[in-house]
Amino acid sequence: MDNLGKNTVRSHSGEGEGKTFPFFLRRPARRRRTPLSVGEEVHSKGNIVLVTDGASIPNPSERRLVNAWSIALVGALCALFSLCLLWPDPYLRILLYLPDGVLITFEITVLSICFAVPLGLLTGLGRISRNRFINLVASTYVEVIRGIPLLVQLFYIYYALSRFFQVSGVASAVTAISICYGAYMGEVFRAGIMAIPKGQSEAARSLGFNRFQTMFLVVLPQAWRTILPPVGNECIAMLKDTSLVSILAVPDIMQRARSFVGTTYLYFETYTVVALIYLIITLVLSKCVSHMEARLNYYDGK
Amino acid sequence: MFRSLCGGFVLALAVVALGGIAQAAEKYTVASDCTWPPMELLDDQKQPTGYSVDYIKEAAKAAGIDVNVQNVAWDGIFGGVATGKYDIVASSTTITPERQKQFDFTVPYYEVEQAVILPAGKSIQSLADLKGKKVGGQIGTTGIFVMRKADTGATLREYDDVGLAIQDLVGGRIDAVICDDPVAMYYVNKKPDTAGKLNLSFKTGDKEYYGFTVRKGRKDLVDKLNKGIKAVKDSGKEAELISKWMGDGK
Repeated sequence: MDNLGKNTVRSHSGEGEGKTFPFFLRRPARRRRTPLSVGEEVHSKGNIVLVTDGASIPNPSERRLVNAWSIALVGALCALFSLCLLWPDPYLRILLYLPDGVLITFEITVLSICFAVPLGLLTGLGRISRNRFINLVASTYVEVIRGIPLLVQLFYIYYALSRFFQVSGVASAVTAISICYGAYMGEVFRAGIMAIPKGQSEAARSLGFNRFQTMFLVVLPQAWRTILPPVGNECIAMLKDTSLVSILAVPDIMQRARSFVGTTYLYFETYTVVALIYLIITLVLSKCVSHMEARLNYYDGK
Repeated sequence: MFRSLCGGFVLALAVVALGGIAQAAEKYTVASDCTWPPMELLDDQKQPTGYSVDYIKEAAKAAGIDVNVQNVAWDGIFGGVATGKYDIVASSTTITPERQKQFDFTVPYYEVEQAVILPAGKSIQSLADLKGKKVGGQIGTTGIFVMRKADTGATLREYDDVGLAIQDLVGGRIDAVICDDPVAMYYVNKKPDTAGKLNLSFKTGDKEYYGFTVRKGRKDLVDKLNKGIKAVKDSGKEAELISKWMGDGK
């Protein structure tokens, strides 16, 4: 009997969309269209209520040329270019002062993503774990970290803990942001996993999969589609929050701008350029997330 | 009855209002960034105090104007005076040609030079010795400008306030801190938790002069303050303030 179950799995693998699991474990074709969420409330059908503070991701099915996203991007680019063309001094000077800051911002963001996503996955799994100890550890971590502002966490890791060990500004920034966003992403992962109908894991279990296999071969591959867009959203929020690290004397975009202002006193001009740069980066990234979302939802009835 | 009450009330209001107008000396708001001891700091009651703060109060008294000193973060302190959020900056602002293009300054009220602080036991002979070292300072201060201009090949780290830079120096994450010499002396000699751990190793020798900063074009205010500063200098009050805040060392 056990063999039969496994054969079924194998015999159907390699057929079209059901590559990772047999057809009867497949999700019903037409489910939800908008998996944008950092949800708390999970309905029985797997819809997650939108509770997010990240960038708003453009709707992938938006086909019109004029929409909020394109207006914002074209507007920001035009504003930046025209300012630099019309008044090269100071706008072009400011723009040329910032690129090394942009690199540091990206460096911190990318490193933080590398640590925060695995941490988020672990936390999410911990939060739904049936092991009471693991569950408590993960839940307490989320509670504690979500209750402390990121700015305070940065100060804490860099200045308060420097009594015990010394880490560089960038390392502190990456640690603080990863730990902070790990907690938020943990909730995203948990919500995404909970959104998969219970029947899926019941079916997998009845076929003889153990809990580990059920989670990693059946539930998670399906949950990715729900999870990735909000995780992308969190990553964009993360990029914006890296502007806080300038207090650790890390020369990111914001700090470069502040030190430029410190010598020239051009507050309006400098922070206009900085706002436009952040806006352009965020808009481009949110479009990427939107594309990713569209591809992931390929089978959801286009 | 009601009418007479009302009348009395209006009369009382008018008296209060008139009295207020008669009494009010010109009132100006002053901004100080209270993270620059002993020039500007917060006292135990969280009120701004320090040499510059006392000085502007004395100068204002001598000039017959009222001032109200507020604690304002250094980062935007010049922006606020440019937009008129406050009238005067009394925050150890060195008079520089770049700043003079955008702001007006009073006559100098104090003279400093840039000092380099190193951990105790270490020393340098010149700014060039900082090559390859990590040097901290407060963002947008003349210490940072001097290091940039000297272009010694040191890595500059710009902190929100000099206290954080000093803390990183004590912790060993940076090799030196550059700031105005009275501030350097305060951290090296007076502040209980850093005194003895640091060495004021080098002074640039280039004199800088502090002036109170006002918005461009406020000639009237500059004149009043200059008058006040002269009075403070002449009356011997300045010497008193110096010995109060700098000790006898200066």
